[in-house]
Amino acid sequence: MVSEGPPHTWDDKSVFDLSALEADVAKLIVQTLNLNIDPVQIQPEQPLFNEGLGLDSIDALELSLVISQCYGYKIRSDDPETVATFASLRSLCQSIEKHRTK
Amino acid sequence: MTTAALFGPYHADRVLAWENGHAITYSHFLSDVGALADLLPEKPTVINLVDDRYRFLVGFAAALVRGQTTLLPPSRAPGALGQLARDYAASYCLVDDTEQVEHFPSYQIPQSRWYPTCTAKIPQIPVDHPAVVAFTSGSTGSPLSHSKTWGSLVTVARSTGSRLGLKASDPVTIVATVPHHHMYGLEASIMLPIQHGMAFHAGRPLFPEDVRSALAEVPSPRILVTTPLHIRACVTAGSRLPHVKYILSATAPLARSLARQAETSFQTSVYEVYGFTEAGSLATRRTVAEDTWHVLDGITLHQDSAGCSLQAPYLREPISFPDLVSIQAPHHFVLHGRGTDLVNIGGHRGSLSDLNQKLNEIEGVQDGVFFLPDDKGPSVTRLIAFVVAPGKAAEHILSALRTVIDPMFLPRPLHLLPKLPRNGTGKLTRESLLGLLHELHQGERHGT
Repeated sequence: MVSEGPPHTWDDKSVFDLSALEADVAKLIVQTLNLNIDPVQIQPEQPLFNEGLGLDSIDALELSLVISQCYGYKIRSDDPETVATFASLRSLCQSIEKHRTK
Repeated sequence: MTTAALFGPYHADRVLAWENGHAITYSHFLSDVGALADLLPEKPTVINLVDDRYRFLVGFAAALVRGQTTLLPPSRAPGALGQLARDYAASYCLVDDTEQVEHFPSYQIPQSRWYPTCTAKIPQIPVDHPAVVAFTSGSTGSPLSHSKTWGSLVTVARSTGSRLGLKASDPVTIVATVPHHHMYGLEASIMLPIQHGMAFHAGRPLFPEDVRSALAEVPSPRILVTTPLHIRACVTAGSRLPHVKYILSATAPLARSLARQAETSFQTSVYEVYGFTEAGSLATRRTVAEDTWHVLDGITLHQDSAGCSLQAPYLREPISFPDLVSIQAPHHFVLHGRGTDLVNIGGHRGSLSDLNQKLNEIEGVQDGVFFLPDDKGPSVTRLIAFVVAPGKAAEHILSALRTVIDPMFLPRPLHLLPKLPRNGTGKLTRESLLGLLHELHQGERHGT
């Protein structure tokens, strides 16, 4: 499900205990946004924005598009859940699990 | 002294802003401005960080009434505010909630209240009052400040409105996805509506679903003030937007194919505004129909051996275009691309030489360069950095960069290398950096 992007050299074993969906979404985030980090190093509870991975609103928009394409979940910020959704990889995946249509 | 009114034709009961589904009228706004103006501290400059568009405007207007100048920092990066603390030490901040801002005393704008005793006198602001100071990153490491008089903001708003056919007798409501803390957002989402007695949505929708619901919250006719990025998101998401009279796009060139898709998908017209911080909005075009830009009334274009510049009655001196342009007719020009030192990432303009200087000032960095790859595909192209910093981790350099540059310019990714491919004269050519990038991709493909 992850589209072809720049290949990476990480090994696939996460140092954290990630679910299959979390591992997939971590790869999606790193590939979509060209981050300087191996997906396996994303801490599931680490904030995605600001002081955590340092993502910004353009990243949020890019991510919302690929998440909508891959999982059919349309993110909106006036949903009280959304602030919590983007809090961390884990919360993002919980929301995807709950709202996904594919 | 010549003055211009805070806002356009006054109808006390006409709606100025839609905030969380509530209509705020012009007379309500007047009372809010009057009340806040009495409370503001006695200081010359204010940094207005308020995110709610209506409350930002109340702060901005109250500052004008008090003869204060609003500073528009290029970002909220600690380095940007630290620079303001050095250059404008006697400033204060207006904030949304109880957040504390380093370096400055912070004040919250009180809850909106209706004062029945409001005399409803429209404030008149001297046209030569410096209403805002905006900043661009200079090429030498220090930001350059650009002071805008109240008269220039009013003139640009009125001439943009007349170009776009806005009439006070036929009010529209503006929904904007752009922040009002930068020139385009301030001009198009605040000055444009208030100078025509019109309304705006106080929020700032981001995702396509947000744009749809924000538009649905306000009455028709509506105008969407946005960027190529948000237009692409709405088109890609297949959004079904409520009808908009037209879409106004700025901050980066809009591809004609995307403009055409947006016109078809949303059954509307798409116009672009061209401008830059030093001059403000200065030209428009209907993207699907025109390559050339038509300057706003009152602006003249000049070409000489040094390049193209523009002049307007509200500009103190002619201003050179930062982009490569050629003049086609007295009031029309064509845009050919960026100047070689200029980058524009998500609407944030920066200078490569300034970014390189900041990168090389970081402790442990021996050599380093920022590089903007060619645009590939529809998403925003970010900067890349090649850095020589023995013993340092990429994350260490990124953290240091984060405090001194606009986060929009943080490299994606930052490549650590043993040395940079400088040629015999010590220069780095674009070709050599492209080659380096290609090698890195090849290396990754082979798992080395």
